[in-house]
Amino acid sequence: MTSLRRRPALRWLAPIATAIVFVGAGSLISAFTNAAQADLAPRSAAQLLVDVQNARLDGLSGTIAQSADLGIPSLPGIGGGSSDLSSLVSGSHTLRLWYDGPDHVRLALLGQFGESDVVRNGADLWTWSSTGHSATHSALPSNSAGHDSSPLQGEATMTPQAAADAALKAISPSTSVTTNGTDIVAGRAAYLLTLQPKSSNSLVGSVQIAIDGKTHVPTRVQVFAVGASKPSLSVGFTSFNPGAPSSSVFGFNPPPGTKVTQEKGEPRSLTGKKTGRSAVDNADPKVVGSGWTSVLVASAPDVVSGSGSTATLLQKLPEVSGTWGSGRLLEGTLFSVLLTQDGRIVVGAVPPSVLYAALAAG
Amino acid sequence: MSAVEAGVRDVTSRPRRLSTRFLRSELGLVFGRRRNQVGLVVLIGPPVLISIAVKSSASRPGRGAPDFFSSITENGLFVALAALTIEMALFLPLAVAAVSGDSVAGEASTGTLRYLLTVPVDRLRLLAVKYAGIVAFAFAATLVVTAAGVLMGVVLFGGGNLTLLSGSQIGFGAGLLRVLAAALYLGCGFAALGAVGLFVSTLTEQPIGATLATVIFSAASLIADSIPQVSWVHPYLITHNWTAFGDLFRSPIAWTGIEHGLYSAAGYIVVFFLAAWARFSTKDVTS
Repeated sequence: MTSLRRRPALRWLAPIATAIVFVGAGSLISAFTNAAQADLAPRSAAQLLVDVQNARLDGLSGTIAQSADLGIPSLPGIGGGSSDLSSLVSGSHTLRLWYDGPDHVRLALLGQFGESDVVRNGADLWTWSSTGHSATHSALPSNSAGHDSSPLQGEATMTPQAAADAALKAISPSTSVTTNGTDIVAGRAAYLLTLQPKSSNSLVGSVQIAIDGKTHVPTRVQVFAVGASKPSLSVGFTSFNPGAPSSSVFGFNPPPGTKVTQEKGEPRSLTGKKTGRSAVDNADPKVVGSGWTSVLVASAPDVVSGSGSTATLLQKLPEVSGTWGSGRLLEGTLFSVLLTQDGRIVVGAVPPSVLYAALAAG
Repeated sequence: MSAVEAGVRDVTSRPRRLSTRFLRSELGLVFGRRRNQVGLVVLIGPPVLISIAVKSSASRPGRGAPDFFSSITENGLFVALAALTIEMALFLPLAVAAVSGDSVAGEASTGTLRYLLTVPVDRLRLLAVKYAGIVAFAFAATLVVTAAGVLMGVVLFGGGNLTLLSGSQIGFGAGLLRVLAAALYLGCGFAALGAVGLFVSTLTEQPIGATLATVIFSAASLIADSIPQVSWVHPYLITHNWTAFGDLFRSPIAWTGIEHGLYSAAGYIVVFFLAAWARFSTKDVTS
């Protein structure tokens, strides 16, 4: 205390040092966990692919952080903080996942004061939105249980090793697959697998997949645009707890006052709803090119020359023209979309020039 | 003032025995001031206004209504949550800033600070007592809003089971407990703002200046929090985790945001209290 009396300015060290401790404590903890990453024995890309196929997870509960920076103009009412499923295209979001076999899955998208849930409990599939107090329910045919969650089941005759070899062989003409050391994802050591398109025409620089060292489940996927140091698209666990979650999280009973819509027949797939791909599928799509530079050409309803809010937004896009005609161009960091005047939509993870070439070829 | 008398009387007490008299006198000062009592009454306004407005209008707030509003007619407890959401941005920070900005600068401007310090009261203890008064007011203000909301809501819309954001339901008692937890969590956030106010209050002799600076600090933090381009600074902002009280109304409860909020509040409290100490213990008290 005497030195403090003589030099009162020393007292200011106390708040400054505490501030540094509080800010630094978080990174200090992660530094300690990072020291544990040397535990993982090196594995080749083929071995990792085998590991992923052999991964059997009894259950899982975790938190997922998703962020998208696709370089597209932000749309009003879409983006961070919203609990609407369609908002996932931009901004950053937090999701919670509970998994107890393919029959018991719950995914919750957390908004600031809202939540959207997709719950599968046995034969029941529920979706819930807290914003409108609305729910949809569909009964899944019991024999389809498990089919939709394991797309590789049709190749069950193959050993994982053969499947991994086949997968590597299939993508190797267009892609270089490398392992890229280890990283810490959700506080757990994970292998990094990097996929890099060989074509220089692709807007995708690389795709990095983190594979958990213990459970061999992919825990993070990051898509980098060419020349970018930050991922344009990132989905990864921030907390990951293997082990079956309590069965109560899968129970869903619509609360009183809820608007429940019963869906008949095949449930609409979530991805179809999100991207609107089903609409494109109906319209005779054609794929030009192959691998990373493939371009989808489809006929689309005329949305540009309308007067709705979508049309107003689209009319702000730059107008481009060439030998193929003219249209509106949306250039993102990872993909380009061209809406032509004659009602075609052209999409690809390529620069606009490749879209024009695809139109000219088609 | 009573604080001065208490300080004078403290001379007789032995320095090692911690007397609560100084603290009691400070609490009496904070809650006895007419302006603070009026402030608490003003805070009751929004929950009363919300509940009466929703009750009297024929159409219930439907889709697109602000957070928690659409559920008010189903369960009265949501009136408290809607009121907290509204007052979180300006009213409650303003109330806390008014009291914390006044804490030291107010005594300095009325000339009572030097009398407090002529008696051998440790300056650290004076600051601690002043801060305890601020914390008590921060929690009282939050709880007053919550209590008014619960009372008005239950009287006008009734209680019953509470529908969580996740779509599941809990009983009224459990719901009340979660509303109380939300209020206490927000109270911690406002206590952190109070520490900032205490520090600013030691810098000046103008209580109104200290209050304004604290309100601006809270508002600037809110603004910065809404600008996505500076997202790297968001976790360090004092207001960033305040909205996490909504996570208490999920099933199961998402604790991550709450934990971050409590950690951040603790950080702000310790750092700014120490800064206030560094400033105040060497300050020349001239007025």
